[in-house]
Amino acid sequence: MKAKKKVVTSGDVRITAYKPTARTKRRETVRAIKSAIVPITPVSPAAQRARIETGGAAVADLGTTPVGRPTLAERAALDRIDVSVDLAPARGLRLPNPIMVASGTFGYGVEYGEVVDVQKLGGICCKGTTLRPRIGNPPPRVTETPGGMLNSIGLQNPGVAAVIEKYGPIWQGWDVPVIVNVAGESIDDYVEVVRRLDGLPGVAGIELNISCPNVGKGGLQFAIDRDAARSVTAAVRRATELPLLVKLSPNVADVRPIAKAIEDAGADAICAINTLSGLAVSPDRTRAFLGNTFGGLSGPAIKPVALRVVYEVAQVVSIPIIGIGGVTSLDDVLDFMACGAVAVQIGTAIFADPELPVHLADELRSECLRRGLESYRPLVGTALPKRAGAPSVKGVEYRP
Amino acid sequence: MRLVAAQLVESRQILPGQWLQSFHAPELATGSRAGQFVHVRTGDYSGLVLRRPFSINTADPATGTVTLHFRTVGRGTEWLTRLREGETLDMLGPLGRPFEVDPRSRNLLLIAGGLGMAGVRMLADEAVRDGRQVTILFGALDASHVYPSSLLPDEVEYVVATDDGSLGHRGYVTELLPEYEAWADQAFACGPQPMLARLARLAAGRRERLGVAKLGRKRGGGKTDPAGSVAARRKAFLQVSMEQTMGCAVGACLGCAVMGVDGPLRVCREGPVFAADEIAWEPVS
Repeated sequence: MKAKKKVVTSGDVRITAYKPTARTKRRETVRAIKSAIVPITPVSPAAQRARIETGGAAVADLGTTPVGRPTLAERAALDRIDVSVDLAPARGLRLPNPIMVASGTFGYGVEYGEVVDVQKLGGICCKGTTLRPRIGNPPPRVTETPGGMLNSIGLQNPGVAAVIEKYGPIWQGWDVPVIVNVAGESIDDYVEVVRRLDGLPGVAGIELNISCPNVGKGGLQFAIDRDAARSVTAAVRRATELPLLVKLSPNVADVRPIAKAIEDAGADAICAINTLSGLAVSPDRTRAFLGNTFGGLSGPAIKPVALRVVYEVAQVVSIPIIGIGGVTSLDDVLDFMACGAVAVQIGTAIFADPELPVHLADELRSECLRRGLESYRPLVGTALPKRAGAPSVKGVEYRP
Repeated sequence: MRLVAAQLVESRQILPGQWLQSFHAPELATGSRAGQFVHVRTGDYSGLVLRRPFSINTADPATGTVTLHFRTVGRGTEWLTRLREGETLDMLGPLGRPFEVDPRSRNLLLIAGGLGMAGVRMLADEAVRDGRQVTILFGALDASHVYPSSLLPDEVEYVVATDDGSLGHRGYVTELLPEYEAWADQAFACGPQPMLARLARLAAGRRERLGVAKLGRKRGGGKTDPAGSVAARRKAFLQVSMEQTMGCAVGACLGCAVMGVDGPLRVCREGPVFAADEIAWEPVS
C-alpha cells in the first residue's frame, strides 16, 4: 500500500504532508543510520601527530609521507627498500635502519619501554658509562632555551659493573643493537671499561664519549686535542674488537685534524656532534641557572653547527659518520645525509615525541619509495663539494 | 604510562595568572593516583623543545576527565591558556609515584603553598572517598591568591594563611603546623622548596615533641624498610611532592634530579612524592 498523502493548504502554498507507513518508517530509519556512518578516512601517523602538534587544527601534509595506511603492494614495496646500514664494515655493526637514539636521552633503553617499541629503532646509544659510579652534578640539571635545551647531568651512572649486571641480560634478548657510551677520566679508565664490555653478549659496539662538556676531568680534554684523541682511540682500539664509534665535540676551533686522527687511530665510525657548551641565567639573575653553571646545548638550535661539522669531517675521513644535533623531522635526517652522514641519532626531540625515531625510520622508507630508490644510499653526501672546500675556520685570516 | 590525546573540555582562570583546565582523557582519569603527574607537549613550536610536567589536580573516572591547575610562567603555559575547547593535547602519563597513605591513618593534614595546591588537591578527593578526615592548610601571598574553597570537597577543613594577613592567619602556612601535628596521623605537602624544608624540619622533631616515640601506634618501630619503598613511605609522617625542571619524565635523562640523603633522586621516577627524610634539605634560613 502506498503511503497516504495528505494535502494541507496554507494560504496559496500547498504543502504535501508525508504520512509514513510502518514499512517506509523502517526504511527511513535504516537510511538515517547509514547516513550517520561516516566513512573512516585513514590518517597517516605523521598527519596525526601534526594534528596534535597544531592543537587540533588541520594542516597540509607536506608530501614527505604518504597519506593513509599503505596498501599491501605498497607495504611489500616498502619492505623491499633496504634501509639497513653497517657502521663498521670491518667488524660488523649492522643497524636495521639508520635512525638511532642518542646517548643520555634514552637511558639504558628500558625507560621508554612502555611507550616506544625499542625493537624498531636502528640502534640505542645508552647513557654514558664510567668505571666507577658517579653521582652527577648538583641540580637543577636541565633547562629549556630558545630552540633547544641545556643539560648538565655530569655523567651520573651506576658504573660499568652495575650496568653490565642490570642491563646486560636485557640487551642480550634484544634484536636492536645496543651501543654502550663510555666515558672516563683517563685513558686507563676508558680501556678498563671497554675491556669489561668486550665480548659481552648484548653489547653491539662502543661509543667513545670524549666530548662531555659537563664534567671537570675526563670530558672534553680528549676531544679538543688531536694527540689526546688519537691516544685514547688507539688505546681502546687495542683493548677491544668491538665496533668503535668516537663522538666528536663541536667545542673546538678546527674539527678536521681531530677527526682524521681518530680515523687513523682505528675508529670504525665518527659521531658528530656532542653538545655545545652554554649557560643560562637564573630567573632572579643572581647566578647561573644550572647547578653546574655550564651546560651542554642540544636541540634544533645546534643543527646548523652539527651539519657544518659533519660536512667538514665527511671531506677528510672515509669511515662512516653518524650525524647528531637537532634532528626533529625527516627533512633534518635528509639534511644530515646530504652532508655525508650515513646514520643519525635523535636526542632532545625524543623528550617531546618519544615515538619520533620509529616514525622517522618509516618515513625514510616512504621517502625512498617516493623517489624510486631501493636504498637511501644515493641520498648520502649529495651536498658535499666535488673538491675539498674551504674550511669554516680560516685561522689567521680572522685574527686582528 | 602511555601517550594520550586529551581533549580540552573546559578552561578557566581561577586566580590571577592561574588556570584550571579540564581534559577528557579516560585512560588518565581511571589510571592515576594522587601525586602522579602528566608530561604535556605544547604545540607552539617556535622554540619549545620540552614537554611540561603538571600534577594531576583532580581525576574523575565517571566522566573520564582530569584537571590540570597551573600558573602562566612562560611561553608553554601561555600557549596552554590559548587552547580552545575541543582541541587535543598530547599527554604522557600517568607518571611518577603517588602519595602513600597508611591504611590506618584517619586524619590527614594536607599542606599547600601557592600553586602547591595542584600537587595535593587530588589526595583530598581520595581521602574523603576513603572516609578519612582531611584538613588543608593553605598558604598564599594575599587574599587574591587564595585557592577558592568552592573548588574543594565539602568535607575538608580549609585553613588559610596569607603573608600580609589579608585572609586567615598572618604569616607562613608552616606556622600553622604545630596546631595540627598532634591531630594528624600523616601530612602531605607541596609547595616552594623553603616551605617543604621548614616542614621537614618540623616533622623530624615531631616524635620527640609529642612524646609518641615508642607509644601507641608503632610507626617505624621494629623492622626498617628500605628508604623509598612503599612501606617506608607509608610509615613516614610527612610526604612531600617535589618540583624540578624536567627532560624526559620517564627516568632516562636524569635531568630532574634532587639531592637525596643517599645521592641524587629522580623526581620523575622515584618521585615526585618523597618521604621527607629521603631528601637532603638545604638549610632553612
